[in-house]
Amino acid sequence: MDQVDAILSFPAGLIGFPALKAFRLFEPRDSYPLKFLQAVDRKDISFTCVDVQAIKPDYVVPLSDEDARSLALHEPADAMVLALLAIPEDPARMTANLAGPVVVNTRTLQARQIVLNIDQYPLAYLVFPGK
Amino acid sequence: MLVITRKLDQSIIINGNVEVVVTGITRDGVRLGIIAPKEVEVHRREVFEAIAAANRAASAQGAALPRPVRDAAALLRARLPKSDPGSEEK
Repeated sequence: MDQVDAILSFPAGLIGFPALKAFRLFEPRDSYPLKFLQAVDRKDISFTCVDVQAIKPDYVVPLSDEDARSLALHEPADAMVLALLAIPEDPARMTANLAGPVVVNTRTLQARQIVLNIDQYPLAYLVFPGK
Repeated sequence: MLVITRKLDQSIIINGNVEVVVTGITRDGVRLGIIAPKEVEVHRREVFEAIAAANRAASAQGAALPRPVRDAAALLRARLPKSDPGSEEK
């Protein structure tokens, strides 16, 4: 999935947006490494996200058996983990939501937002600490 | 809202397939055990709400690459190791 442009299916929706089951994931040419998740039925709703590899390579999602099963994920290599970003006016203060990562099965294009313990995983991880 | 009194080790059944058991009662709180089919998601409300709020906060930016988003992409690119798929013409 290099030049990403795919329709992802979120059977459970995104948290807080349960009705939106399909999002287009795409990466405009000049936006690398940022990608966008845009609701197929609500073009006005979109999220900026990034492959967690690009911001925190040591990040590991403790995927429960049930999460893995619901995504039909068998091979770790099939998984892409995206973090949703909040980008303020000063982009150096952007934060990534590491408590609710979006895990994508790149083979089936099924995706799911995982709910992690907010005591252990930051909701607003400062991508550029100390700026 | 349905309000039911339960004692330690008593439970309620919801929808025939979800059981909520009171497994402990202390001064600090009530401990609940939840037995449900795998596809039923159970979250502490505050965690769910926090992530929903973060999602709503993150949903503001459109896909039109407004300046802060363009700048954010540039900042991230500058920090990433050399290989630059962004320059790959397609």
